Amino acid sequence: MKQLCLLGSWFPHLAVYLMFGSCLVCAAEEAGKDRQYFNEKEAPENLRDLRNIQKALQETLPQARAATVSIDLGGGSGSGVIVSGEGLVLTAAHVSAGVGKEMTVIMEDGTRHKAISLGLVASTDAAMVQIEEEGVFPYVKLDREDSTSLGDWVYALGHSGGFEKDRGVGVRIGRLVRMAEETINSDCNLIGGDSGGPLFNMKGRLIGIHSRVGASLEQNMHVPLREFLKNWDAMLDKKFVGKGPFAQEAVAFLGVSTEDREEGGVVIKVVGDETPAAEAGLLEGDVILALNGEELEGAVQFSASLKLFKPGEKVKLKILRDDKEKEIEVELGEK
Amino acid sequence: MRSRVAPIFLLAVVSAATAQQQVGQLEGELRLNGKETWKAFDPVREVLQKSSAVIYDGWKSIAYGVIVSSDGYLVTKASEIEGVKELSVRVNREHFKKVKVVSSTVEWDVALLKVEAQGLPVIEWAEPEPTHGTWVVSNGSTTRRDRRLRVGIISANARKVGEGRAPVVLGVTLDTSGEEEGLPVKEVQEDSGASEAGLKSGDVILEMEGREVRSMKDLQELLGSKEPGDKIQIRLKREGEDVELEVELKRRESVFEEKKTRNDAMSGRVSKRRSDFPRVLQTDLPLSVRSVGGPLLNLEGHCVGMNIARANRCETFAIPAKELLAIVSLLITGEESGSGAE
Repeated sequence: MKQLCLLGSWFPHLAVYLMFGSCLVCAAEEAGKDRQYFNEKEAPENLRDLRNIQKALQETLPQARAATVSIDLGGGSGSGVIVSGEGLVLTAAHVSAGVGKEMTVIMEDGTRHKAISLGLVASTDAAMVQIEEEGVFPYVKLDREDSTSLGDWVYALGHSGGFEKDRGVGVRIGRLVRMAEETINSDCNLIGGDSGGPLFNMKGRLIGIHSRVGASLEQNMHVPLREFLKNWDAMLDKKFVGKGPFAQEAVAFLGVSTEDREEGGVVIKVVGDETPAAEAGLLEGDVILALNGEELEGAVQFSASLKLFKPGEKVKLKILRDDKEKEIEVELGEK
Repeated sequence: MRSRVAPIFLLAVVSAATAQQQVGQLEGELRLNGKETWKAFDPVREVLQKSSAVIYDGWKSIAYGVIVSSDGYLVTKASEIEGVKELSVRVNREHFKKVKVVSSTVEWDVALLKVEAQGLPVIEWAEPEPTHGTWVVSNGSTTRRDRRLRVGIISANARKVGEGRAPVVLGVTLDTSGEEEGLPVKEVQEDSGASEAGLKSGDVILEMEGREVRSMKDLQELLGSKEPGDKIQIRLKREGEDVELEVELKRRESVFEEKKTRNDAMSGRVSKRRSDFPRVLQTDLPLSVRSVGGPLLNLEGHCVGMNIARANRCETFAIPAKELLAIVSLLITGEESGSGAE
């Protein structure tokens, strides 16, 4: 077990909707395959090599900065990067922290856009967010060919510590210092608020998304882009892929505590304030006989059945109140 | 104010189980701040070797300095040399044991030092100001013979940092909610000038240096032009009586403890004074607290600024060359009136 710091934050919210167009038919290859000469050297040898690294970085930096966003979750913030003109954003799963959550995307100049989280991969910390407003957004290209290798020069962008207009996006240079299938490390130093921000190769192609840091300055960990590409359609499709540790799937929530009843069904003992149950008009003492037509045998079975639903789904409850049966529809909330 | 700071979660993540995969690692020497990479910067290291200064307290190096005149003037971070008993300076391989602290400005946290020397290589100033992504080089560590370096890039917009608070304080918190005349003292901070002078909670400050103070703004304005160690006359009301006291001003960071954020927790040691500078360049140089104060160079070996604070894990601040030049000329011309000490 290792102690690691996640760089973003997580926060409850809910909502709906997405859209995504056609950017994936990218013109990927024009600068793709041929590697920059300084990446073929074990280390830069002289000032000329260093100037060429600087030049490559500075040529691609303006577009990279324009596409790097801060993601404001209300109680915390992370970063992200726009990868399509329609406003598809890649970020970390522990930043978006769920599917269908509302958030605000902030451009470097301070412009704010409403956005909603799409799918995520909970096991590797990959996620997508969609800007909801229509517009033409600055975006970066992807390193689809997975062309980087250990030692390549890279740079990291992000809104360290949250959005600060006067400071703008922070950029850090480094090399790829460790490469594993699901995590790459660089010596670009990251800090809280950078989570979800982009890691670029020196052609300005996106190669990863910031995830977490270790105690030493050399442990800065990123989710490789291939992890996003592998799960691209599922994330577009608002799927919650994999299990923890970076996000926990939302559990449907009714808001009652119940007890078994000899004659079948369950009796409501408590209705929580401001819960979906209270909103739907359930009362203490009501007997719930059936859930979506399925008869209830007891409190344990009832609570297990509820867990099969997702927040936002509607269920029909058959109720016995004052010896009369009635049906109540409840929209489940999120715990 | 702190709501902008992103929460960070300390999470225990199982990593051993997934370690089946082929994992490649880049050797330390080849990393951004590794020996092999530094070799490419050698012409710039030469400049540090000749025209950066190492500041010592006894045998221990505590900061670096920028040489600004061939006859021995240099500047460094003031708060790092405050109260140092055995101050000495090394330039290249020469050791200067007699160092005069000529003057300083708390606004920028810069002190002007003087050693008896001739023909020191003066730093060359860069123009224009470097943009995002420009390589920068500065002192990293040192031996008696050699200066080593740290490398990074300009990493964000040049800007003012902090909320424009006066860098020196009395050491009190004030109750500004009331309508009454003067500024009521809520609390007196331990080890502050105010506590040493005997200020008490409940005192109402009426005048400072013979001028009425009615608001925090008045107070900040008055303190804004002061240096640490300056003494200030205060007239206050205590249980109906008029009382006059003299209070010594101290550095804000030595009186009030800064609140630690979660990002600070992952940053290692940071400079005690790391905020409230009128304008700074930001770099990603991984400097230690003891390696600020020296020159920030570009690949040409020209000085683009002076490292002034390690702010956090990924941010280091430097005073830009243009502002530094103005500070230097102000400190040198102010020498006659300054409060020098051997």
